[in-house]
Amino acid sequence: MISCNCIVQAGQISPETETRLRANLSAFAERAFGEPAEINWRAIPERSGFTAAQPSTSSIISMAANRPVPQPERAALLKEMCELWIRETHRSLDEVVGVISDPQT
Amino acid sequence: MPLYLCNAAKGAISDEAKPKIAADITRIHCDVTGAPPQFVHAFFVEEDTAPPLDGKSAVLFGSIRANRTDAQKAQIIAEMRQSISTHTGIALDAVGMMTTDVPASWAFEGGEVMPEPGEEAEWLARHNRPSAAE
Repeated sequence: MISCNCIVQAGQISPETETRLRANLSAFAERAFGEPAEINWRAIPERSGFTAAQPSTSSIISMAANRPVPQPERAALLKEMCELWIRETHRSLDEVVGVISDPQT
Repeated sequence: MPLYLCNAAKGAISDEAKPKIAADITRIHCDVTGAPPQFVHAFFVEEDTAPPLDGKSAVLFGSIRANRTDAQKAQIIAEMRQSISTHTGIALDAVGMMTTDVPASWAFEGGEVMPEPGEEAEWLARHNRPSAAE
């Protein structure tokens, strides 16, 4: 399983959207890394998230690759993962941070 | 990125203290690293599994772009721990903190791969955002 941590702001993503995001992220992980994603979904309580010291609307999606990823491929995968997110959430690209990390050595 | 995630014992950090600490985290990170504030995320949770409290009342975990110096990291840790203590009344030795380095090339923000530290000006210009110095 590919570990995927999603940190979102509470109340900003509906349960239905969360369900679709979980399925789409897992399908993405399977396409990219050959394994489905194990998703750890974490909602930051209201009045507890800040970006640039202002109330945050940002989401952070962090996926741990099961192999070293060449940088051109990583850039394309990051773009695909973040676009997948904004398609479902109708947020802007300025409100999503994506991370695809290599395995720890 | 950076993401500062603060886990605390229930009720240890009030809703009134959170924006003050978040403002300090943002200011400290930008002062020490020169990074623009737009990149700084500060999130608070309670009684969560990560970062582990390990007997502390609050623990702040910073995922920051790689290539910061040890001196920069030490200053960030000292000043952010002090901020949490000051705004909450938690004893300084009950506030834990650690950081981890994340290569900028692993992260994607604002629709593109993050710039390396010190190379943010073009990114900000493309996104029509004022730099930290403005």
